Amino acid sequence: MAEPATDFTLDTAQVLAEEEHGASIVGRSPWYLAWRRLRRNYIAFIALFVFVVIAVACSLAPIYAHHIAHTAPNATHTEDIVNGKQVLSAPVIGTDAQGNVVVEKAGGVLGPTWWHAHGRFVLGADGLGRDVAVRLLYGGLNSLKIGIGSALICVMVAVLLALLAGFYGGWVDWIITRSFDLIWAFPVLLLAIALGSALSINGFHHFGISISPHSLWIPTLVISYVYVPYVGRPLRGQILSLREKEFIEAAIGQGASPLRIMFSDLLPNVASTALVFFTLIIANNILTEAGLSFLGAGVQPPNPSWGTVIQEGQERIISAPWLTLAPGIAIVLTVLSLNIFGDGLRDALDPRAKVRVEH
Amino acid sequence: MRSRQGLIRLLSVLALMAGLALMTAAYAVSANRPQSPVAHTKSVGTFRAVIDTIDYLDTSQAYTAQSLWALWTVYETLVTYRHVAGAAGYQVVPGLASLPKISRGGKVYTLTLRKGLKYSNGKPIRAADFKCTMKRDFLTASPGVGFYDTIVGAKKFETSLKGDIGGIKTKGRTIRITLTSPRGDFLTILAEPFAALVPCGTANQDLSANPPPASGPYKIGPNPDKNRGFSLVRNKYFKPTKYIPRGTPNRVDVTIVGDADAAVQRVISGQADYTNAAIPPERIGTVSNRGQLRLRKSANTYYFWMNTRVYPFNKLKVRQAVNMAIDRSALVKAVWGGLGVTTENILPPTYPSYRKLTLYKRNVAKARQLINQAGAKGADVTVWGRQVSDSQQSTTLYASYLSAIGLKTTLKFLPRSTYYTTIGNSDTKAQTGWARWLEDYPHPLDWFDVLLNGRNIVHENNNNFAYYSNAKTNRLIDGLKKPPALTPAVNKRWANVEKLIMQQAPWAPWSNRTFPEFFSKNMGCISIQRLYGIDFMKVCRK
Amino acid sequence: MTAFIIRRFLGMIAVLFAVSILVFLIFIIVPGGDPASRIAGKHPTPQNVVNIKKKWGFDKPFYVQYYEMMRKVGTGLLPGNHSQYDVLRSFDDQTNVVHEIKKGMPATFSLTIGAGLIWLFWGVMVGVLSAITAGRWADRMITTVALVGISMPVFWLGIITRYFLAEKPSHPWFPDGGYVPLTASPWEWYKHLILPWFVLAVLFIGFYGRVLRSNILDTINEDYVRTARAKGLTPRRVLAKHVLRNSLIPVVTLFGLDFAAVLGGGAILTETVFELHGVGFYAAERVGALDLPPIMGVTLYGAFFIVLFSAIIDILYAFLDPRIRPA
Repeated sequence: MAEPATDFTLDTAQVLAEEEHGASIVGRSPWYLAWRRLRRNYIAFIALFVFVVIAVACSLAPIYAHHIAHTAPNATHTEDIVNGKQVLSAPVIGTDAQGNVVVEKAGGVLGPTWWHAHGRFVLGADGLGRDVAVRLLYGGLNSLKIGIGSALICVMVAVLLALLAGFYGGWVDWIITRSFDLIWAFPVLLLAIALGSALSINGFHHFGISISPHSLWIPTLVISYVYVPYVGRPLRGQILSLREKEFIEAAIGQGASPLRIMFSDLLPNVASTALVFFTLIIANNILTEAGLSFLGAGVQPPNPSWGTVIQEGQERIISAPWLTLAPGIAIVLTVLSLNIFGDGLRDALDPRAKVRVEH
Repeated sequence: MRSRQGLIRLLSVLALMAGLALMTAAYAVSANRPQSPVAHTKSVGTFRAVIDTIDYLDTSQAYTAQSLWALWTVYETLVTYRHVAGAAGYQVVPGLASLPKISRGGKVYTLTLRKGLKYSNGKPIRAADFKCTMKRDFLTASPGVGFYDTIVGAKKFETSLKGDIGGIKTKGRTIRITLTSPRGDFLTILAEPFAALVPCGTANQDLSANPPPASGPYKIGPNPDKNRGFSLVRNKYFKPTKYIPRGTPNRVDVTIVGDADAAVQRVISGQADYTNAAIPPERIGTVSNRGQLRLRKSANTYYFWMNTRVYPFNKLKVRQAVNMAIDRSALVKAVWGGLGVTTENILPPTYPSYRKLTLYKRNVAKARQLINQAGAKGADVTVWGRQVSDSQQSTTLYASYLSAIGLKTTLKFLPRSTYYTTIGNSDTKAQTGWARWLEDYPHPLDWFDVLLNGRNIVHENNNNFAYYSNAKTNRLIDGLKKPPALTPAVNKRWANVEKLIMQQAPWAPWSNRTFPEFFSKNMGCISIQRLYGIDFMKVCRK
Repeated sequence: MTAFIIRRFLGMIAVLFAVSILVFLIFIIVPGGDPASRIAGKHPTPQNVVNIKKKWGFDKPFYVQYYEMMRKVGTGLLPGNHSQYDVLRSFDDQTNVVHEIKKGMPATFSLTIGAGLIWLFWGVMVGVLSAITAGRWADRMITTVALVGISMPVFWLGIITRYFLAEKPSHPWFPDGGYVPLTASPWEWYKHLILPWFVLAVLFIGFYGRVLRSNILDTINEDYVRTARAKGLTPRRVLAKHVLRNSLIPVVTLFGLDFAAVLGGGAILTETVFELHGVGFYAAERVGALDLPPIMGVTLYGAFFIVLFSAIIDILYAFLDPRIRPA
């Protein structure tokens, strides 16, 4: 199958690389050089800062819920009165002479109170009287856990498989590349939804592993599984070409063990690519998770995630558009900051890295 | 460098042109708003309905309210219901046949077909077709066969799928049905569309794409597609009777649109006359000004069942506590935006045997106390729901009420298609969850015998989700199978059964839902049949 | 060469076979409720369930069931009328899966072709414009917009555009979702598809723009481009003839694969949000119901396009560059 080989460079990297010719870079480690390049990329740092702020805010969700909003992510408050308004008010419906419905007073959910209710319902309430701000933070926590966790697993598995395939070649390589082909041939989202919805019924209880249907591990593993070939293929290609290099042949000649060659010689050479992949695939996985949860195949209700919050809010988009807008904006900010930082990281680490994340 | 800028210019011009083209397109789109419907004509012509879903266009398989709504006018049963609004709509009247003569023991039903009946293909309708219809139901594994297995020989036929159903004898225009035991609701069962006549020789498979000939005022037009749409056209061989009118529209176009907003938009813009779309509560206000919105009361009960065989719901106090803990009016408000009424009854208020029950006033403190007394504080409870928006919302709220009285809840939502079969499998041992019941036919037996008679608990596809079995109420229900008519005395006995059951609290019923029905402004003569809903055979244009 | 093509297509069949086995296994290991009791409905008798099991073959061992399922897929693809029990049918509503997929294809193809043209055109536009203005404000702006484009969840963008352009305005610009066949009304068809086309294209425009931009920037520095310039060719000619042509090759490859994925029902979210009853919509609906036969059908259909297009691309490459041809 065709490899979407794509070189990707941003000019900042080129400019910086040219500048380095004049600087005293002799004897510096490549990581140090990368750091030097990254340091000058203010935009990437701003993006990283935004991401860290979002991540910290989400991880403070329990504190916010207990001490500021005084509620829990799944607690319903339909009957509470906040700022003199009922959280969920019923419409007053009458009928005219012909029996047609006449709405005398529209009901609806409490809108954002900002800070006028001492931290309660800052972003309003959803259709079941739950605090949207609290759900958004908890949802972000779940989305980030899944995004980062699945990216980590996906990249680790892909690196391992790529090392095995690239180093051993032969039938090991054949099996690994064929199984990549197999997953690749699936419509990605369809495979993820099928696995996600099938596993969220009873969980997974095979081969000595037991995962409950409500566990975040299900979407995490499903997402990491479907993207392994997308990371594994380019890495395998890199390792194949490294395998031909003299220093590997020298190591083999010296009688170094395969494990040693794989982890001390080959791995460091693909580490920077893997790191860039890691950053960019977090962004990708957060989007995938949102899509899965939106279709009901990701995080299972009532647990929030940004995708489920959008799905729940969508029903009230006319009278309460913020229920849909807020989680979407949160996703865009997070993913955008990760993408910008990932770009910067790539430029700094490996200006010629062949990295492209399929969506 | 200069010509590089030239290229930029070239590309910018291209981009600009493409942009302009798109804007023009967009403008053209906005300028082409649908015009208001042309010239008012009194004749109905084509009635255009937009329906959310149809399961089958074959009476042996169709089981949703929407499908039966359409098929009711196409396939006639031996006896049927009147095309009128209000309580009279529950009255069983002659259909293809006269009302039956019922033997004294209530086991033998004798009916005579009307003279000169013909299918829409011109072939005569024969009494023998009734037997073929029944056999076809069994041979196609119709979901309705459970209603007919009291006919003598039906059970045997179901097992062998060969031979004859001995309990059905036909001669000339006469049909004689013998039952193994009397069944008070059998008349209404004969009026079920599963028993609507199709000719002998109709293929024993789902014919939704190629429906059999019709016997009613309409027939299904060519190339029906149950997932996209179909039309009903006049059956020229149909002759109206006192109870089955000819129908005002010459043609009914049914389009399937799953999205409520899109469906409503079609009615507002004049592309359709009517939709049954479940309009989201928040849109009721805006929608009601742009057409005619009616609320249809249908016989349904939404409830939470509690498995009386499983801890902690095997304790009466826990079940009573749950009934006191749930906030019925908050549920109705949150889930349906107020389009429904709260209830503590099993039967819906449209039933003549309905007597309002008020056994459980909301009292969270007392509920918590009862839970403590039962020693169920902190008990793990899995709450089951169906992956359908209203079920998910009500189940989520239900779980929060259970948490509030000290139970530890976990939610579990299943796909809409596998929900009932999973909780209805006794191996699942589901503790508590959401359910609803829509009547099959207007008889208390369709509720108590199916849902709460302990003798009908089965291993698979069980409908008694509470696994409620009480010797006394079981006996009372069985006894009430015999009287063939719902007299006031019989209704009183049913009300007593209902009260006895609710004192045991196997359910926490919470609402009878009201359905929005939306018409364009120019539709008139809107009539709602209690059982089948909007009666399009009576509509007119203003 | 012929041998290569034959091998490539044999590989295709092998992958499709493996895909079908994997789908079947997922649903054997993970029970989604007994299909027989599902088909039996609300009021079945135990005997009814037994009859259904026999009729549908659920009483057979799973490898026989797999074989039967594949046989039915084959029969369904053949023209002519088949008995109901000889074709692949849904557990949910007993519809013929192959027919349902065929019915969904016009919507999916309309969406894919329109969106594909848009994203290819604008993707190239974005890439070229940002590359030739590299480093200037125009470049910054375009790349930022492209980045925002690829950072948006497509379903959210769909919901939001639908809300602001089709639901909220009192005189909406666009119809509120749904699909109208081209044969029924070309104008309505176009109106209903504009929003989905653009929503689906946004993501790809961002991707393609970024890919193309960096390709162009790399190619500009290649020796043969310098030579061309030194020969005195006008920069426009150099760009058009040497740079663009070479930088577009990977983009075309990408386009082939993405186009195949969307054609194969991959735009599940877009089709769902806009109520386009295409193959993706059908897939989402049936996966949600854990309805194995349609899932099998849709997966094979989607995988077919993906595998076919990547084979075609490989073969084209092999034609163009003999070095790629595997030994």
